[in-house]
Parts: sequence; structure tokens; C-alpha cells
Amino acid sequence: MPTIAVDAMGGDHAPDEVVKGVAQVSLATDIECLLVGDERRIQSVLEGVSYNPEHIAILHATDAIGMAEEPRQAVKRRDASLVVGVRAVAEGRAQALVSAGNTGACVLACARHFRLLRGVRRAALASVYPRQREHGGQDPLALLLDVGATVRCEAEELVHFALMGSVYARRVSKVASPAIGLLNMNMGSEEMKGGEVLVEAHRRLRQLPVVNFVGNVEGNDLVRGRADVIVCEGLLGNVALKLIEGVSEVLYDVTGRAGERRVAWRLGLRLLSRGSERARALTDYTQYGGSPILGFEHVFIKCRGRSGARAVANAVKVAAKAVRDHVPREIADALAAAR
Amino acid sequence: MRIRRARPGAAPPASGAPLLCRWDLDKTYLRSEFDSLRSLLRTAFERAEDKVEVPGVAELIRALKAAAERHGRKALVYFVSASPPQIGAAVRKKLALDGVPYDGIVFKDQLAHLRRGKLRNLREHVGFKLAELLRGRLAAPPGAAELLFGDDWELDSLIYSLYADVLAARLAPARLEPLLRRIRVDPGLADEILALAGRAAGGERVARIFINLERRSPPATFRLFGPRVVPTFNYFQTAAVLGAEGYLGAEDVARVGRVLLEGAGYTARGLENSLGDLVRRGFLEPAAAGALGTRLRATGVLPPADGPRARWRRVLGALGRLRRRRRMRAGRAAAGEAPPLDYDAILARLRPAAAAASGRERRGGT
Repeated sequence: MPTIAVDAMGGDHAPDEVVKGVAQVSLATDIECLLVGDERRIQSVLEGVSYNPEHIAILHATDAIGMAEEPRQAVKRRDASLVVGVRAVAEGRAQALVSAGNTGACVLACARHFRLLRGVRRAALASVYPRQREHGGQDPLALLLDVGATVRCEAEELVHFALMGSVYARRVSKVASPAIGLLNMNMGSEEMKGGEVLVEAHRRLRQLPVVNFVGNVEGNDLVRGRADVIVCEGLLGNVALKLIEGVSEVLYDVTGRAGERRVAWRLGLRLLSRGSERARALTDYTQYGGSPILGFEHVFIKCRGRSGARAVANAVKVAAKAVRDHVPREIADALAAAR
Repeated sequence: MRIRRARPGAAPPASGAPLLCRWDLDKTYLRSEFDSLRSLLRTAFERAEDKVEVPGVAELIRALKAAAERHGRKALVYFVSASPPQIGAAVRKKLALDGVPYDGIVFKDQLAHLRRGKLRNLREHVGFKLAELLRGRLAAPPGAAELLFGDDWELDSLIYSLYADVLAARLAPARLEPLLRRIRVDPGLADEILALAGRAAGGERVARIFINLERRSPPATFRLFGPRVVPTFNYFQTAAVLGAEGYLGAEDVARVGRVLLEGAGYTARGLENSLGDLVRRGFLEPAAAGALGTRLRATGVLPPADGPRARWRRVLGALGRLRRRRRMRAGRAAAGEAPPLDYDAILARLRPAAAAASGRERRGGT
């Protein structure tokens, strides 16, 4: 069983929710978790919940990086739980790291202590998000990368992202032949749209036999089932992701308020409650736990800052799955095959 | 006898005097299933060959006996069970199959309660067990130290703590009586317990109360019972604490560990983590855990120390141990002797509804 290091001090609800998530994993699986952080605080939370001590070890770290800290300065602190956790993985004490902490610090800590896979020029921060399914067997979640690790990209880097996303979707989401889309405009002759980088990336992806490239996808395709993996540069990906999240939150707010205003609307919403519960379940981020940072020799799963115990538990399971399925090695092999 | 934290290489207390080990049966020795009526019936009619013991428990009992003999004294093993005597034959056969030497076993005569129409007594075990423990104490050699073993399914931690405090004369009959009433012990049995308690009180006899966390109850639940109660997640942890306190040798602890590794699906890393958990919860001093760990590593029960990474871990570990030791010393200095248990708080936690009712009763009555 793999050992998964978990940054116990990262996240809005750390260490309580992180430790509770790990405790859940310890009872339900054989995954060994290495909780990194203030031993005393971790132990105090642990003793208040059910857990299996055989699957939990603690690596003490005296410091913690705040969610709003400047990442470049923060990762210089060697005793910060995130940095200690990343080092533990780099030195082989654990095979993957899970953190709900400061995203920028997570990416930078990986860049400082993990080696990039051979042939990878830049790592990609991916995001798993819910989307509409085109057919029954389709995975309800899609992968968008990069969402912020690399602001501007070259065509070659976008091709690498496509290969990395394809391997991750195949191994972790168990999609046999993931459909890869390039986020772009899609009017007229699509090959010529989006500027030099995107045109070149499109051309190269078309020629790659190892990926199932479905062409350019537009913004509205993000939430449809056209592609399982959508590739873009970090700036665009980050904006797109926040837009999806923002629209979803506004929708829930508006429906909630509508119910408060009129009795008839409230009744209508009550009638629709089963449907809206299903929609809520579909968009519930806690079920998929976290998203990977791809391109390094080690697995890193980034949870959302507001992750609760369930999200952390699922992120640990995703990390273990990625380790068991040798995702970094598969990515290296795919890159080598594409060269 | 003062309640102590584990010390490395400590000699067993009061050498020469016998050691009494009292065990609960279901969920402590046997993996009995009571979750449904069906499983309850299956347990009742189970053959000895089909009964399954908790991993490591048989080896631990054998080790306790053997270690006591090595120290030139006797370890007497008794079972006190709230199960009916009708399952006695199967249980005795099971103990024989496991090669577990024991010196006595007591069952609860449920049929007698049924015949007398005392249906509530079928489920009330505190009175029964407390009375049996006190009777056993009066029949035991004077001066014998006791180790008690129970689980987190019923009220073993409460029963054993009451018993220990009665023996230590910290719970006089006048204080025990209202507690028994709150627990709703049968009045006839309560009178008998009070009479036995008066005769049995004589000094600190109970060294440790081990609670097998079969339900994985949060360990913090047992803080109210003080440091005498040691909740453990597996019998390797129990053996490790007993080893550090001198009741077992490192080779005995290794034997228990090996049973878990070879027959119960445990891993060496899992046992190492279990040891770390005991240190963090303060039931093992880091130095004791370190000494034990070295011996267990040599026998292959714990994973081997490996290369440069191990050195890195040793440095971190040493720093950690230093820090924990300082913290434990500071804690002990601040705490001094363990304070007496607050049974009102314990009962309020265990039975909130009953406690509230009792509170109302008391307010109304006085």
C-alpha cells in the first residue's frame, strides 16, 4: 500500500477537517497516511475521532503557510508543513502529497523539491470539475489543465499538457480513450484560429497518434461532454474555472432567494428538490477530493482550500490510486512515445 | 501503588506477590457478534471451533503467565463474562483449543433472572461484574496486583474503575451507594456489593485497566477515567505497555506482534505506527518505545531501519522525543498524583438521560 503524505496544516479548516479526513481513510482503507504538521494539534484532533493507528504516522512540522501568504516567500520556510511534506515525498518517505493549502505555495514547493519528468518543460495544475454527460457511460467529471501553474505557454507545452491529462484521465478516471480538446475559438476553419501558439498546438495534436484529439472546444463546451480533458494555458484556464464556479454559486444563491420571496416559488422549488439535490450532488466537489499537479516525478493532489473531511479523504484515495497506477511513469512513457 | 507512566526496564511491581489478570470475554477475548438478534443467536449456539479470538489475545495471556513465572511469581488468569453459563462448555473448549491457561471463569446466570422475572437485570452488567470482581478479590491471595482487561462495547472502563477505587478505599460505601443507584443496579445486588466493598477495600491493587477499542471509540472518550485506563487499538499496543512496565519481556511483546503479522494481516509498518500512537498518547515514554523498538526491529516485528533516510528520521525522531519528554515531564510535574475520578461526570457522559433524570430526582427529593 502506498504512503500518502497529507499537509495537516493547509486549508481553511485545518487541521481539524484534514485530520478527520485522514482518520476516515484509516478506517476504510489500507492506505498509510503520513500527517505532516503540529504533532500536538494533530494528535488532539485525532484522539477525539475514530481512527486506526496502524495506518497513521505523524511527521512534526513547527510552521504552517497561511492561505493568503505570498507563495514565493512562504516556501522558503523549511519547517512549514507543506515544505516538510514535499521534502518527505522527494526523499522517498511517502509516494504522494495531498494539501488543501495555499495553491501558489503548493505549485512552487513542488517546483523547488520535485524533479520534472524527462521531457516536461512545465508542470500543469489540473482541475477536476463536473460537466454534462453526452452518453450514459461517460465520466461525470472532466479535467481542465492548466489552471494556473504556467501563465503563458508554448505550443509544445500545450501538447505536453494534453499527453499528461490523457494519461491521468485514462489511469485515474478510467476513461479508456479520453477525448482531448484545445480551448479556443471555434468559428470557421478552426485550425487557423487563436493565434500562432494555438494554431501550432492544434497542428501538433492532430498529428499525435497517442491522443484522441477532438479539435478546438469553445467556452460553452467546458461544461458539456464533448471533451474529457481540456487543455489551455494557465491564465485562460484559471479564468474559465473561476467562471464555472462563480456561475454555479450564483445559480444556487438566486434559487435560494427566489424561494424566500414567494410561496409559489418555494412550492415549485420543493417539487424540484430531488432534481436540484441530484444537480448539487453532481457539482459536489467533495466527491472527487482534489486535482493533480502533473509533470513531476511525484504525485501531488491539491484540494480546495475549503475542503472538509470527506473531500480530504477522497483526495487521499485519488492520490493512492495515482500512485498505484504509476501515473508519473505512464506520463513519462507517453511523452517518450510522442517524441 | 501510584499510577505511573511506562518506564524502560522497570521491574514488575511487588515481585513475589501473584499477579491477577481479569479478562472480559466477549469483544475482549472473543470476537463475538451482537449487532443483530441473528448474530446474537449464532454466537449463543456457536461451536468452539467456530469461535474467533481477537488477534494476539491468546499469545498475550500465555506471555503474561510465562513472564510471571520467569520473575518467580504466579499470574492468575480469570474470565468474568456477562454471557450465560449455557455457552460455558463451548468457551472452555475454545480456550483449550487456543492453549490458554486460566484459573477461573464466571458467567452470569441469566436464566435465574428470567425465572425471577427480573428482565432489566438481563441487560444490567455493572452490578453483576462488580460483585464478581469483589468476590474474586476476597478469594485472591492478599497483596496481589491486578491487571484488568475489557472493551469499549459496554461499561468495562466504568466497572473496572469503580472496582479499583473501591479496593483503594477511594470510594467508601456511602459514596458508592448513590452511584450504584444511578446506574440502576438491582437493590439486592447493590446491598451485596456494598457489603463486599467494605471487606475488600485495602489498598491500591489495580495497576492498569486495558480497554480494547474494538469499536474504534475515540480514545479521548476515556480521558475521564484517568491515566490508569489505557485504551488500546490492538493487543500489540497492550503488550507494548505491559512490556515497558516490566510485566512482559521484549521477546514476549515480539511474540504477540508476530502473531498479528503472521495470522491477522497486520504489517510491520502498521505495528510501528501503533507504537508511535502509544507514545503520542502518553502511555509509553519515548525512551521505552525506543528501547523496545530496537529489540523488535532485530526480531523482524518492526520494519528495519534503512540507510540515509533512516538517519534523517532518527535525527527528527530524537528531536521529537526530546520535545515530548519535556512535555510529559512538565505535565507530570503540574499534575502530580492523578486526581480522583469524577464519577458524576462519567455517568453524565455515559448515560446523559439517566443522569438528567437522576439530577431532577435529587433536586426534587431534597
